[in-house]
Amino acid sequence: MPPAPCAAEDESAKGDDLSGMFRYRVSWAQLAWFGHRASGVGVLVFLFLHIVETATVSFGPSVYDWTQTLYNNLPMRLVEVLLMAAVVYHSLNGLRVIAMDFWPRLTIHYRALTYAVVSSTVVAMIPLGLIMITPFMPWGHA
Amino acid sequence: MSRERTIYVSGTNPSRAARTRPENAGFERFMWWFMRISGLLLVILALGHMLIMHVLTEINGQAVDFAFVTHRWGSPFWRIYDLLLLLLALVHGVNGARIVIGDYVHRGGWRTFLLLGLGAFTLVWLLLGIFVIIAFNPATAPAGAGPLGLLSGTVGAL
Repeated sequence: MPPAPCAAEDESAKGDDLSGMFRYRVSWAQLAWFGHRASGVGVLVFLFLHIVETATVSFGPSVYDWTQTLYNNLPMRLVEVLLMAAVVYHSLNGLRVIAMDFWPRLTIHYRALTYAVVSSTVVAMIPLGLIMITPFMPWGHA
Repeated sequence: MSRERTIYVSGTNPSRAARTRPENAGFERFMWWFMRISGLLLVILALGHMLIMHVLTEINGQAVDFAFVTHRWGSPFWRIYDLLLLLLALVHGVNGARIVIGDYVHRGGWRTFLLLGLGAFTLVWLLLGIFVIIAFNPATAPAGAGPLGLLSGTVGAL
């Protein structure tokens, strides 16, 4: 179940909650929890596809090299960027969850830690995303 | 407009984004530990895999093709790395999906159907993945079009 808001959070959440988007106050803990699920399910779906696609390597170079051309276009590259973002977010948020599980006193700083997870994901995705889309961009060489 | 609010007690659910550690020993508590330990390993294995395959290959201008896989899986290190990644990622992901299904699907019949389907699907995919990583041998792989050649030739011609 999603984490329930705590008393301290309810007091401090008056200014920056997301009540405009939802009928009730959504805490950062709930959003982080939902993001963890969404990214996890997304990565799992991709993993199932990836296993099948990689299995075609057993059919030899002509089949496998053709399979790989399916990834060689801008729409698929953007899906891969999304996959990368999902893996980065799920990793960082997972580390936060583990840290809070084993050092419960960290929960006092859960909001700061959640901000750190989200902002680190965004910052990491700037260079990673740029490197990944470059071949399909006007400034790319391919 | 008031909804029921649960006062959070840090000792009960420290992580706030996950489940509490099950009190009783058994499958659920084993999986609770498994998710955390495999999660730590996957931070290295999965992120490493993504960085190597999607970022380093791009920087080095390498194409991911049959020759690339042949070279990579020529080393036992990368076969073991990929095997470990496959096992941990699939079990970690499927256990997550099991918990998600358990949270949202309450009707007995659907729930059983989805969970059994997930289990069967996972078993087949796991065996396929293990087989491909262990059995891959570039010397015996068909050089020509192979069984899927008709498909690739047809779609490639479109």
